[in-house]
Amino acid sequence: MTIKAFELLRPKSLVEASELLLQHGEEARPIAGGTTLVILMKQRAVHFPYLVDLQGIAGLDHISEENGYIRIGAMATQRSVECSSTIRRFLPVLADAVGKIGNVRVRETASIGGNLAHADYRLDPPPALLILGADLVLSGPNGSRTVAIKDFYRGMYETALEAADILAEVKIPHMPEGSRATYLKYSSLSANDWPCLGVAALLALKGNRCKELRLALGGLSSTPLLVQGLAFTQDQPLDDDLLEKIVSVVDQQISPTPDFRGSEWYKRKMARVFVRRAIREVEQHLSA
Amino acid sequence: MSTHSVVGKSVYRRDATQKVTGQILHVGNIEMPGMLHVAVLRSPYPHARITRIEKSRAEALEGVAAVLTGADIAAMPGVDPYFGPAFCDQPILAIDRVLHVGDLVVAVAAEELRQAEDALQLVDVDYEPLPTVFDVREAAQPGAPLVHEELRPAGAFADLAHVKAGQKSNVCYHFKLRKGNVQNAFEEADRIFEDTFSSPPAQHMPMEPHVTLVYMDENEKINVWTATQTPSFVRTQLASTFGISMNRIRVRVPYLGGGYGSKLYAKLEPLVTLLALTTRRPVRYSLTREEEFQTITKHGVVVKIKTAVKDGLISARHCEVYFDTGAYAEIGPRIVHKSGYTSAGPYRIPNVWIDAYCVYTNKPPAGAFRGFGVPQVIWAYDSQMDTIARALGVDSVEFRMRHALDEGEPFATGTQVRSFGLKESIRQAAQAIEWSKTRPPKSGTRLRGKGIAAGVKAVLTPSISGAIIIMNADGSVNVLSSTVEMGQGSETMMAQIVAEELGISFDQVRIVQPDTDITPYDTITAGSRSTYHMGNAVRMAAGKIKTELFSAVAAKLEVNTEDLIARDGRISVRGTEEKGMTIGQAFLAKFGSLGTTITGEAICQPTAAPMDPETGQSEKCTEYWFPSASAAEVEVDTETGQVSIVKFLSVGDVGTAINPKHCEQQLLGSAITHLSLTFFEEMIFEEGQLLNGSLLDYQIASMKDLPETFEPIVVEEPHESGPFGAKGVGETGTLTVSAAIANAVEDAIGVRIRDLPITPEKILRGLTEKGQVAPKGK
Repeated sequence: MTIKAFELLRPKSLVEASELLLQHGEEARPIAGGTTLVILMKQRAVHFPYLVDLQGIAGLDHISEENGYIRIGAMATQRSVECSSTIRRFLPVLADAVGKIGNVRVRETASIGGNLAHADYRLDPPPALLILGADLVLSGPNGSRTVAIKDFYRGMYETALEAADILAEVKIPHMPEGSRATYLKYSSLSANDWPCLGVAALLALKGNRCKELRLALGGLSSTPLLVQGLAFTQDQPLDDDLLEKIVSVVDQQISPTPDFRGSEWYKRKMARVFVRRAIREVEQHLSA
Repeated sequence: MSTHSVVGKSVYRRDATQKVTGQILHVGNIEMPGMLHVAVLRSPYPHARITRIEKSRAEALEGVAAVLTGADIAAMPGVDPYFGPAFCDQPILAIDRVLHVGDLVVAVAAEELRQAEDALQLVDVDYEPLPTVFDVREAAQPGAPLVHEELRPAGAFADLAHVKAGQKSNVCYHFKLRKGNVQNAFEEADRIFEDTFSSPPAQHMPMEPHVTLVYMDENEKINVWTATQTPSFVRTQLASTFGISMNRIRVRVPYLGGGYGSKLYAKLEPLVTLLALTTRRPVRYSLTREEEFQTITKHGVVVKIKTAVKDGLISARHCEVYFDTGAYAEIGPRIVHKSGYTSAGPYRIPNVWIDAYCVYTNKPPAGAFRGFGVPQVIWAYDSQMDTIARALGVDSVEFRMRHALDEGEPFATGTQVRSFGLKESIRQAAQAIEWSKTRPPKSGTRLRGKGIAAGVKAVLTPSISGAIIIMNADGSVNVLSSTVEMGQGSETMMAQIVAEELGISFDQVRIVQPDTDITPYDTITAGSRSTYHMGNAVRMAAGKIKTELFSAVAAKLEVNTEDLIARDGRISVRGTEEKGMTIGQAFLAKFGSLGTTITGEAICQPTAAPMDPETGQSEKCTEYWFPSASAAEVEVDTETGQVSIVKFLSVGDVGTAINPKHCEQQLLGSAITHLSLTFFEEMIFEEGQLLNGSLLDYQIASMKDLPETFEPIVVEEPHESGPFGAKGVGETGTLTVSAAIANAVEDAIGVRIRDLPITPEKILRGLTEKGQVAPKGK
């Protein structure tokens, strides 16, 4: 199908972009890589008479490490995040999670910011960014503010972005000393499909005891989940009993919505399996 | 074989380079000056009466040339508003009722596609919902809401001649086969096995969607460029729809970007022709991927199969098969007929009872899909063969071999099987998967298993292929054939056969693409029939040219024609090859000048003996059979239920392989299609609404989903009247995939899946119900 006629507005700065969004209100939408928005508009599922193109704004696609943070401009392509030596060195789990989005043709075009702001419940990067404790820098008409990623997602396709806000940067602290992390994407249908669920785990050990554990899950319900209440794992030996306690805690906090990739029953089962697998995998990395 | 110069050789396909480098012309690439584009408003209801259509705002939109409704068409003098191959039940646009979500309601032709799509949003349609029926078995019951008020058979096919018009039922066709005394055999059985298997509706997913371009030329001829597998049928349909003579319609078909059965018979052609006639402009309509799902599907099928065993042998089989043909019969009745009679399997069973039903429901129409309904019945019978063998404690390969028909034995229809490499296919599949090798003990959470399945499909008979060959004085030839090159390699096959017959080089043969003004009638490019039927036609046509050349040469050299051979572009005397002449010299000898041509024409028209409509018995129900076997080794993750395919063998009896590489590619390609259907593909409906009708949600196999080791095995059981012994191979690899996988899964984990697709969740549920394995810590 074709896209209904629209006007492409090309601001040169974030402030100008916010002003345009403010001016056109509900009739305008920012467009980054366009890999999702263009499909929806082609299907005529949505229509915006004005698209505010973020491609022309300079300085939004950086990937750098400074002052204890890794900073990624929202317009950095997913492929550039996946392949960045900085990301691979400091946050290999993020490179890995971003590398599992869609396919390489999509990742060459799509931006990291567009992915996060789209807020589909099946995205790969959010669980990884949740365990990394990322902050998101939102730029609005009255300047910018920072929101922790755990507070960013509000519902299905709903975020902390307010009218005229633009996601400008992802700011991620260094991983805790001695920790490793992994992201497991489980596609229950074709290997190229959206995940049935995604599990990210970050683990640090002291001897064979757990020093720190963080878990996050995506694809289960309307927003990605950072698992709470894992402090009890501290200083505990990482044995089968502890794993069982951990998966019980996870099980209590999730409420999976059934979709084509699995029923609630199946998604609960898979959360147990992949939380366990993720933790064991990081444990192996740490002891390797 | 060794005496042939090009037949039996894996020559490179004719169209490979052009396709890989993007130089191929497809209908969607053809632009005409002043061409209009089409968008169609489709029904949001599965069954409803149209009470009002308001289209004036759409008509007033800039660029809009025509806004057409079914009522407009019904009021046009001389136009038959209904079409369809088996039943004349499908309106060009819905007239008073819509019968499925996606049924065509209003068509717009505009200067730009965007204008046409914008115009659709300005059309208002009021509907009054009507009672619906979606489940195929419910629809078959008396008293179910009727999809069609009465049946309207089209009368085009001899094998459906007994179907009566006017009946009030959703069952639009009922196939019966009765052999022996089934009731007795069940009474006397040692054991009885009863199972129900299902396969869901699915989509063909050719890369190229349906697309049709029509324009009137300066001589008032209707010119149709269309992506179809049936150029001859499309012309016949248009002639009948518009009541005009066939020589005023020219249907041309360039290379197709895949068909798989989706592009058979008329689809968009009547509508686009009507728009071209109305606007007097060239008009092109190309479906979106989403519209493909609403246009044609693979039949969802439910098979109830009941089998009696006496003294370790199958003594009787009772099959009840329900084909969900959706809102329009399309070719469903013929599919039910042709696959129905094979639904007890290629096995020696003395007593057989088959009822196969073609049933209307309020879903998108179902039609041919690579395998023509046969994969759905094999899914049932060769899954059950495995469970029976398992229950009897017999090796399942041995159990199949015990029952597999031998050459010359009667099939369930009474037809003796010929050129029937079934046992050889099973044997080779078993050997390649190392069936008899001792299995390692099972432990851990990744369990392996092996499975084999066998089955057979028969070619649609009768059908007709005509060919004309024109030889030029330089020895080069043009082959005029209506066989559609849709990726299967038919051009290469024809060129090999013609080159072999005329003793010229492969490169001297050029194929003229289907053009009903030029290329003669061909029933259909489908059903694994072209190599045999068109192969024979072009061989015979070439033979006629050879006869003429030989008599010219024989007269000139004063030898007998029987002593001549054609080879390497020369016609010479057998044994003394230096005595002879080139084809050019032969032309000079015949005509006394160059620039002349010799034309040969031939028709291949195998016949069948009509089946008894009450018993399905026939002395000859088909021209040839193509047996298939698949062997799989799988590994099941017992924590997730996910299956990975360690090894897969696709085995088929092709007759003589004209091009072995092509046969191998067909065996693998069709296996990929059915691996995808086995694991992923399913059109999911809720109250008639398709929930996963786009490639964002509908899953097809990607390269990453294919088996680690994946090999074809070509079995050659030459057919006495096939061209050089060839049969067909386009569908063979589809037939036995699903059952082989399910059999391997049961071998691995002891869980039997009876409903496709085989998803990880179904497997995990099976494991959980069995209570044998559960995720650790549960």
